[in-house]
Amino acid sequence: MNTLPDDVRPWRHDLAGCLHGCLATLLEQRGIPALPVLGAAWTFRHLPGGVRREEYYYPYGPGESLFGALAPHHPVGSRWHRPADAATGLREVMDAVADGTPVAVAVDNYHLPFRPAYRDVHSNHLVVVHGFDEQRGTVRVLDAVPPAFHGDITIEELTAARDSGNEVVHDRDMFFTGVDIGNRWISLELGAPPEEFPSLNRAEAARVIGLNLAHFDGRGGGDGLSGLDGQQAFLESAVKRVAAGEDVRDELFVAAGAVLACTAVHADWLALAGRTLDVPGLVEQGRAVERIAHHWSALRITAALTGDGQLGAGRLARRVHALMKDHESVLVALDRERAEL
Amino acid sequence: MEQLLAPARVAGVPVDLARYADNIGITPPGRLDAGAFNLWGNTFPADELPPPGEVMVHGIPFLFPAGPGGGPDNVRCAGQLVEVPGGRYDWIQVLAAAERRTEDPVLLHFADGTVDPEWLRVSDFWPETEARFGERPAYRLSRLHYPRHVDRKFGPAIWRQRVPVTRETDLAAVRLPDNPAVHVFAMTLVPAAPQEVQE
Repeated sequence: MNTLPDDVRPWRHDLAGCLHGCLATLLEQRGIPALPVLGAAWTFRHLPGGVRREEYYYPYGPGESLFGALAPHHPVGSRWHRPADAATGLREVMDAVADGTPVAVAVDNYHLPFRPAYRDVHSNHLVVVHGFDEQRGTVRVLDAVPPAFHGDITIEELTAARDSGNEVVHDRDMFFTGVDIGNRWISLELGAPPEEFPSLNRAEAARVIGLNLAHFDGRGGGDGLSGLDGQQAFLESAVKRVAAGEDVRDELFVAAGAVLACTAVHADWLALAGRTLDVPGLVEQGRAVERIAHHWSALRITAALTGDGQLGAGRLARRVHALMKDHESVLVALDRERAEL
Repeated sequence: MEQLLAPARVAGVPVDLARYADNIGITPPGRLDAGAFNLWGNTFPADELPPPGEVMVHGIPFLFPAGPGGGPDNVRCAGQLVEVPGGRYDWIQVLAAAERRTEDPVLLHFADGTVDPEWLRVSDFWPETEARFGERPAYRLSRLHYPRHVDRKFGPAIWRQRVPVTRETDLAAVRLPDNPAVHVFAMTLVPAAPQEVQE
């Protein structure tokens, strides 16, 4: 079986990671422009105890899906497949790809020759698989995270990465290590045909911004901490825990990475909407949301430095205060822009 | 006929950041684990960067930091108050890089006691990443150091960024932001141009 489709393209955002990159590639392969869907939602959610040690961590509750959590305003979902063993996992992915459906697979970078972590650091990563050449014994892999790779590796290499126990071996096996990869793979599930996805017009922009404002206003529902109050509660709790000497490094770093990516990609969505609809105010609010993302960049590194006492609760608290203050301001401005659409 | 001219040298006052430097971001090939620019211990390869001392970047003189064997080579921003040679300046030029792009205000302290915030914006040092704030790369390297190996597939960047000084008063000090994602390798003050007629 030789299956090598040519409509699979890399997508990368400098403040997002493999999760956004993979979903964007899978959406565009189905003919759905990624940013209008992937960047629409701006949310905060945290499920206590639910932070997973994955580069592709994103919070979602029971009955929801990983891809669906990234794009809750669109008919997008996903399904994790958990095969019993490596051979079954390989066969499942080969079958999906043979049917013309690229998928994303969980991998341990330690086993991937194109990753800098190869034979150095274990890390739980996500890549797109979209081709097999059984005669050559190779699989075509797309990884948009630098160093970007779009090419062939051996089936044995991919299988080793998928079947890895992702062990913690040394002190640089941080954040995304220690969780069995288990040959998992994830498929994109669309709840509507691509042509029925909404166009990015003024009504759609108003709808999306309204949903985001409702979420931050606490009217979005869902489990755990959510919205602006949930974000404040989560961050203030982290400050208190650091002050009490508790180690929050990994949880806060991973959770912040997910919010950073969501916020930064939404900033680009606002800029796209503003340019597409000729509404300069939306572009300006895109920049304001980008500023919130830059707070999260700082907070994420701040979190990482709390682990060994390099950085104390006071500095974390000041960042949290500044972030929340700016976040509240941009919500007010977005409400104003929405009213004029 | 269009003429290609070498970039003119800009008069500049390099600021010695040695006493503020607290992070090692540059390592030689034989001592890969001697520094840790970011959380994973990545560093910039010393042999692709200038030796310590004055260097020119885009026509601007900078004081390149000490580097390998000489101690810390950059300032990880933690709200340090950097004293600068007093004078009237138009720009604060920096060589900087960030762990993911970010921005924050710096506070400009003037000799007359006034203080102005201005933005310091720095793009990601990570390879294969473009500048997001319109900075120009001061150095784009060919490889990236890891504590236990060198990756030759890609290389990081150090950016040249600038911060305006709009107040026409002598500058005395610069308060860096409290943002540990931002690393400043060098800083140079560009004297004010006498553009306006003084009444």
